[in-house]
Amino acid sequence: MTCSDVERVLPELLAGDPDGLLHSGDGGIQADFDAHVKTCPACSDLVLDLKLIASEARQLAASEEPAPRVWVRIAAELRAEGLISDPASSDSARDEFARPIVFPASARRRWGAWWLAPVAAALLAASAYVVSHKPVSQVAKQQTATVPTTSPAAAASPVAEAVAVTPTPVPAQVPRPEAKQPAKPMVAAAQTAEPAPNSPAPNAEDRQFLSVVSTLSPSMRVTYENQLQAVNADIRETQAYVNRNPGDADARQHLMDAYQEKALLYQLALDRIQ
Amino acid sequence: MTDPKQGITEAEAIEQAKQGHEAAFEVLYHLHKRRVYSLCLRMVSNPAQAEDLAQEAFLQLFRKIGTFRGESAFSTWLHRMTVNVVLMQLRKKGLPVVSLEETLEADDEAPRKEFGTKDLKLTGSIDRLQLQRAIDKLPPGYRTVFVLHDVEGFEHNEIAHMVGCSIGNSKSQLHKARLKLRDYLKFMRAEKAKTG
Repeated sequence: MTCSDVERVLPELLAGDPDGLLHSGDGGIQADFDAHVKTCPACSDLVLDLKLIASEARQLAASEEPAPRVWVRIAAELRAEGLISDPASSDSARDEFARPIVFPASARRRWGAWWLAPVAAALLAASAYVVSHKPVSQVAKQQTATVPTTSPAAAASPVAEAVAVTPTPVPAQVPRPEAKQPAKPMVAAAQTAEPAPNSPAPNAEDRQFLSVVSTLSPSMRVTYENQLQAVNADIRETQAYVNRNPGDADARQHLMDAYQEKALLYQLALDRIQ
Repeated sequence: MTDPKQGITEAEAIEQAKQGHEAAFEVLYHLHKRRVYSLCLRMVSNPAQAEDLAQEAFLQLFRKIGTFRGESAFSTWLHRMTVNVVLMQLRKKGLPVVSLEETLEADDEAPRKEFGTKDLKLTGSIDRLQLQRAIDKLPPGYRTVFVLHDVEGFEHNEIAHMVGCSIGNSKSQLHKARLKLRDYLKFMRAEKAKTG
């Protein structure tokens, strides 16, 4: 058997065995193969290398962890489709473990346009306004905490509509200074996080958010704190990447999604304390 | 399989999920998320797309969970569903799921170029990160078969059925994929040796 013969029969001889052991019903080929490999360093190395690649590849199965937002989106979709029951009315509500956060049914998973970044920032700003300008007890009594009643709220209404419907331009209807310069609140948000090793201190909006969720049960509070930390970390990392690679459309979309996620996290916290 | 956090078994979670219990869905998700996401990531080499595909795979699973009767393992059912989701996405994008050639081409029989020194044998150790990068460099068709067989453990007859090729083609593609990976890994090792 020659080296070319070895390469020709190798796919069949290696097929079907997870350990890469050579097996064949034809003792003749197997014997010739074994004899050649024993005397040919190149073929011997080839066989061993291919076996090694196959065995190392198996270690890659289940080696990656998806971001927390994947479950959040799945849960939101399941809720929107009516496939899961209200956690408040189920036995699971009594669980002491942290519950996953699900988005309101009106939330949309993905916007397609980069110019919606100001919309997400405005939603963040609107939520922060509600939290910062009303006492916690008053916020808790609100029936509809999502739409502020003062002029920023009037401007935020089209923002809320833009969230709930298919994306349409929201040009000049967001009067808040933060919304006119969307990069600032985004950068501010990106620069803050939950107090954690190697992470910046929370900004004013995050502190307000944490103050609000501190009124919830311990397990819920921890859940929200962890979600905030995760989304802030995601924003920081993605923002840094986008700064280095401004032409990467996928990265910009990812950053867009991260801000959307944070905005909806604020929204959800407000909904829960009603 | 039991979720240590929730203290319920997979079978219990499946039954509760059929009744719409959110916690049960979450248990099933956390039990299988790494396998599903890793499969998607290996197949498309893009984390954002992999997240979308993993999300879609779980959503399809949860929508159909009422039909699961336990004839096969739940993980097997989910695994196949995930593969179908990914392959459908690849087909939608017009990417080749697997090449059509049945046998080794003539140029594949020619002596392969050895990168740099022959002393850098691959045998003995493979850096996992380099292997991941090498897999990402594979042509889509080769990557599909390699991931399904060597990473995920599907047999050639299963792969042939899923991707719509012959068993011989599946074996051929796998072999080519492994050869290419070997070349990539040797090249990476040679480059690393040069830079020190």
